[in-house]
Amino acid sequence: MIHTIVQNAINGAMMGCIYALITLGLSIIFGVMDVVNFAHGDFVMLAMYFTFWVGTLLGLDAVATPLITFPLLFLIGVVTYYLIVHRTLRERYVTQIAVTVGLMLFLRAFAQLVWQAQPRALLHSIVQGRIVIAGFTIVLSRLTSAAVSIVTIGAVYLFLTKTWAGRAIRAASDDLDVASLMGVNYGRTYALSFGLGSALTAIAGGLLMTFQQVDPTMGIRFGLLSWCMLALAGLGSIPGLLISGVIVGVAESLSMALWDPRARSLIVYLIFILVLWLKPRGLFGRK
Amino acid sequence: MKPRRLSIKTAVMLVGLALSLAIPALIGSNQYNMMLATTVLLFGVIATAWNIIGGMGGQLDLAACAYLGLGAFTAGTLLIRWDVSPWLGMILGGLVATGFAALVGYPLFRFGVTEVWYALSSSALVEVLRVAFLLWEDVGGPTERYLPFYSWSPYHMRFGSYIPYYYIMLAMLLVALFVNYKIGRSKLGYYLRALGENEDAAEVLGVNTRACKLKALMIYAFLVGAIGAVYACLYGYIHPNFFNGLQSTEVAVLGIVGGMGITYGPLVAAVILVSGQEFLRASLGGQLESIYLVIYAVVLILMALFKPQGIATLLQDAYKQIVLRTARDRHVQADTSGV
Repeated sequence: MIHTIVQNAINGAMMGCIYALITLGLSIIFGVMDVVNFAHGDFVMLAMYFTFWVGTLLGLDAVATPLITFPLLFLIGVVTYYLIVHRTLRERYVTQIAVTVGLMLFLRAFAQLVWQAQPRALLHSIVQGRIVIAGFTIVLSRLTSAAVSIVTIGAVYLFLTKTWAGRAIRAASDDLDVASLMGVNYGRTYALSFGLGSALTAIAGGLLMTFQQVDPTMGIRFGLLSWCMLALAGLGSIPGLLISGVIVGVAESLSMALWDPRARSLIVYLIFILVLWLKPRGLFGRK
Repeated sequence: MKPRRLSIKTAVMLVGLALSLAIPALIGSNQYNMMLATTVLLFGVIATAWNIIGGMGGQLDLAACAYLGLGAFTAGTLLIRWDVSPWLGMILGGLVATGFAALVGYPLFRFGVTEVWYALSSSALVEVLRVAFLLWEDVGGPTERYLPFYSWSPYHMRFGSYIPYYYIMLAMLLVALFVNYKIGRSKLGYYLRALGENEDAAEVLGVNTRACKLKALMIYAFLVGAIGAVYACLYGYIHPNFFNGLQSTEVAVLGIVGGMGITYGPLVAAVILVSGQEFLRASLGGQLESIYLVIYAVVLILMALFKPQGIATLLQDAYKQIVLRTARDRHVQADTSGV
């Protein structure tokens, strides 16, 4: 029994690192420009399909696909920003939700159109096999994914704190007017943030594709899930993001193993609702 | 001025009512068309009910299908187990949905969950209910539970044709519009609109925002729960997938692009978007699967981007134009006759 719990907690925690990476993208988008993006999960879905495409057409391994999909999704994010999101900045959040729900439906329909409704998966990945430590099995593809996620999150943290562009993003999220006075070009900063937020899903998508398949309806689950983790973490805390990702991953994994596979999201959403009631700023929130 | 303005509005309303009453006579021979008309009405009613909490109160509720499903399961289970008429089930389903709304609404408003977080928690609620009913094998479970079949039984609200359902939906639409209209002109309606604009300001001015939001949520939940009973009879079964998160979100989107707080806005949006979607599906679906969804999504984005106040405002503008023009005409007439 205890073995099962620990085993599933390990699996969940590794999954949670990828969740944290997905949420980091959303956190940048929402934290910096206050845009309520309901389509973030569908960017993940899109990234997974691109991974599939690049993987099958170029014969690239899923781990290596972000070399191509990262710039691609960055570009898509920037184009989306200038075409759509840019026009909703001054609108009420309900309009932003309506627009991004439209975007979500668009991406979903687009995926159905291009890749059809059946699930797609890559054949195999170079990261295969499993290692056994003290009786606990660790699947290597998941371990790699977790490691890459943590490294990416660390890199983004360094980017946000050490480079001029990253500092501009953080400044814009703290106080746009003052940042503008200090010479931050908010249009370009926003485009950069949206592009970066979308591009991060490319890495997450590539990692997910090493052990999972993709279908067009996945987006909505990732979307709601990443909002849950953002609520848990609160804005502006990157370690908090990682912890809440792990909480969600473990909760998911344990409710699947100990209760019922269908109960996967139940506990997560209950935690989410409870946190909103009791700690509206999140567990680790700065703002 | 005044009598003329009333007459234009009444005329439009009467024509609309006559037209919607006559639809079964016009297209009733084709069951597919009747199904479409009923679906349009279904979304129209739910979105109109949503207008109370979402449009007037500004609370972006994404849980329409939670209340719809609760109503459907209450009425459906009562009918399957104890042969209770769905007409009674409609009331009970509404009450169950209202009770649930009160149960979750009270702490949500008490702890000050607002804006996007309210929207997200209501969205999560739909998924929680779906999974809960999937696991609750006594009532829900993974297989469809079929309602007893009758080709014509008003007591069981089971008909072999879409036409009766169409009229039931139409009646519910009139009720929902009437409730909207009444609330819009009551103290509650003014309070709701005030807190929808600016919650803190309304609170400072002495509006009990929590109580108002809860009342609006409960009225909306009752209406949608009652519709749920008809929904179950219309489809002939109940299934946990009735708790559909995407569909709930689409209801809210209808309310937003229709025009928040405009009584007939969600209805206009439902008529245009739902029938437009079905038209696209029918005319394009054969060639390229799901291209119609792409077009639908693009139309949705464009509407929300370029008419954020709602497409119903287009009608309001047109109406103002007509009134202005007729007034000017009369002025000119009066001038010439005076000379």
